[in-house]
Amino acid sequence: MLSGCLRNNATAQEALYNRFSPRMLGVCYRFAKNREDAEDMLQEGFIKVFSQMHQYRNEGALEGWIRRIIVHTCINILKKNKKFSDSVDISNAHSIHIREEMIPSIMQAKQVVECIRSLPLGYKTVLNLYAIEGYSHKEIAFMLDIEESTSRSQYTRAKSMLEEILIRKKIIQKPRNKTNFLGAV
Amino acid sequence: MMENEFYEDDFEQLLKEKADQFSMYPSKRVWHSIYNNLHPSRRWPSVVMCLLLVSSLILIGYLNTGENSITKQINNNTFEQTSYEIINQTNTSQKTNQKSTGTQYSGTYQKPPQANTYNNAFGDVITSESDFYTYTIVKSNRPVPYTSATVTDNKPITGADNNNQDIIQTIDTYIKSNQIFADIAVYTKKAESNAARSSNKAAPGNNSTNVNTENVISKLDAFATKQNSNTPEAVLSKLTGPLVKNPTTVSTAAENTDRKNEEKAWIENYALQNKTAAKKWKGRLGYQLYITPAVNYRKLTTNSKGSATPFANADINNSISQKPGFGFEAGVGLNYLVAKKIQLKAGVQFNYTNYKIAADESNHPITTTILLNDPSTGYSYSSARTSTTTNSFNTTAVQPVTLHNKTYQISLPVGFAYRISSHNNVDWYAGATVQPSYIFDGKAHIISSDLKTYVSDRSSISPWNLNVGFETYMNFKVGSYNLQVGPQVRYQVNSTYKKDIALIEKPYAVGLKFGLTKGF
Repeated sequence: MLSGCLRNNATAQEALYNRFSPRMLGVCYRFAKNREDAEDMLQEGFIKVFSQMHQYRNEGALEGWIRRIIVHTCINILKKNKKFSDSVDISNAHSIHIREEMIPSIMQAKQVVECIRSLPLGYKTVLNLYAIEGYSHKEIAFMLDIEESTSRSQYTRAKSMLEEILIRKKIIQKPRNKTNFLGAV
Repeated sequence: MMENEFYEDDFEQLLKEKADQFSMYPSKRVWHSIYNNLHPSRRWPSVVMCLLLVSSLILIGYLNTGENSITKQINNNTFEQTSYEIINQTNTSQKTNQKSTGTQYSGTYQKPPQANTYNNAFGDVITSESDFYTYTIVKSNRPVPYTSATVTDNKPITGADNNNQDIIQTIDTYIKSNQIFADIAVYTKKAESNAARSSNKAAPGNNSTNVNTENVISKLDAFATKQNSNTPEAVLSKLTGPLVKNPTTVSTAAENTDRKNEEKAWIENYALQNKTAAKKWKGRLGYQLYITPAVNYRKLTTNSKGSATPFANADINNSISQKPGFGFEAGVGLNYLVAKKIQLKAGVQFNYTNYKIAADESNHPITTTILLNDPSTGYSYSSARTSTTTNSFNTTAVQPVTLHNKTYQISLPVGFAYRISSHNNVDWYAGATVQPSYIFDGKAHIISSDLKTYVSDRSSISPWNLNVGFETYMNFKVGSYNLQVGPQVRYQVNSTYKKDIALIEKPYAVGLKFGLTKGF
């Protein structure tokens, strides 16, 4: 399949697309505002995947390589649309209203993903990149053109906000109170 | 509830696990966009095919906008003229609905041929949105409605009653608005997805079949309220009798047989009285094989400037011995009837032209000249050639020989034929064609400047030419074939020779055409 893609064989390309596109669309969906935007990100991402296929050096899994391209594509699109820079500003965080009522009551993974998507764009992006995609704060700062400290604080706030949503939606339970060695909370 | 025992340390792990489990299937347009981006060159054949298809559809649509067009049938149809076969499942307890005028309306419900995919007032004809045109033609040509023998007091549903006429009119509007067909399409798709549905299951009363029937009826309700009717059911029953909203009867075997017989009778009647639109183009298109033996003549002229040679000054036709020769045309073509009396024709034709020159063969080659025209100045000049034949005009040939000026051509005749008159199986036609021609081989013998010798020069023949043909013929219908016989004249518009040859030859052929035509 890989060699076929390198030869620009349409059948091989379609096979690769069919194999990885569902999961990659899930990745895009976490970054995007809606399904249409997610599909646009997926489309652009796979075009880059196929045009840069010759750069894949068999180091690591193909899915991981594709995923990195997709994630970078998502970030680039968000930056290009200029929706991102405003949303990263922490000072706006307090006034952000989470539309929790929009989260549908569905099960399992989609519940969590929808909760992530309900976060403000900046929070959601940093959370996706750090907690799910595994980038470091330094890498995130470079990708998003922000300070590393901003990335850290954004992530902290995103995490607590998400946790609050998941608890409110009863997707998770409130963590047990931790006590110190003296028994205080 | 997903997690009963949850620890904050595991929060990120949870997020990652659940996010990785999540996947979505993209729509097909995503792959198509990617494909077109990666393979742009492959887009053009599909664009060309699309353009070709659209052009063909437009042409077919344009050619079908004559008196027999479907649109005209629809537009000419008035609601009052149709007698509806809209019929209803009879229910003896609700069989008649008395109006204040005392008019009774009743009928028999006719299930569609398929397994009860449709169940409303229009279900006797329409089973899918593709039946739209068929339905409208049927609507305009429907025979007197067949009513079941089990129904007493039956009466054809007509527009005699004013209130009913209004209802019919509004329903007609509903039909023409096409919304009913959107409803039908939705319903039909739902019906098709249920593979286990049988005819009995789809009997009136089955709620699953009423999903879109409700939609149809709700619209009729809206129209009915304007007519100050009591309830939607009463309004509908005035027109059609009790309908599917609250049906109570279940089909029996006898009723199924009756319905099948009714359907068969109606279908046969419809087939007898109506042409099917789908084969319209086939009825107008036919192919033809023909051959035209002909006699070829020619008239020579000269095109010279500034030359004092005998060639330039003499009457060429009276300076050489030439005789008509035998030739023929044969070809295949298509005829398309665009109007009652006019056919368009196109095809491929092979032509053989020939005429004879009487000459005297010489024992040795003779140096001679032919007159050519300088393309830059237009003045004529003599060009040296060799010849082995001499002009025997007005002399006695020592070694007589016949020179054949001939050409082998392929033409693409395009034209029309007009039917002048018709009587029983015999028609009289007249027609004309324009025939772009390609001369792929031949022989040319050109008279010399001094009119004393002939120069053989194949290269002097122009490869492209244009001919026009005029014909009149009698057409005899014999079974499924048509025989044509009649005279034809074919005239060459441009000179046989290239432009630098000062001699101009424009031959013409007179022949008798025999043709055989058959429709598709």
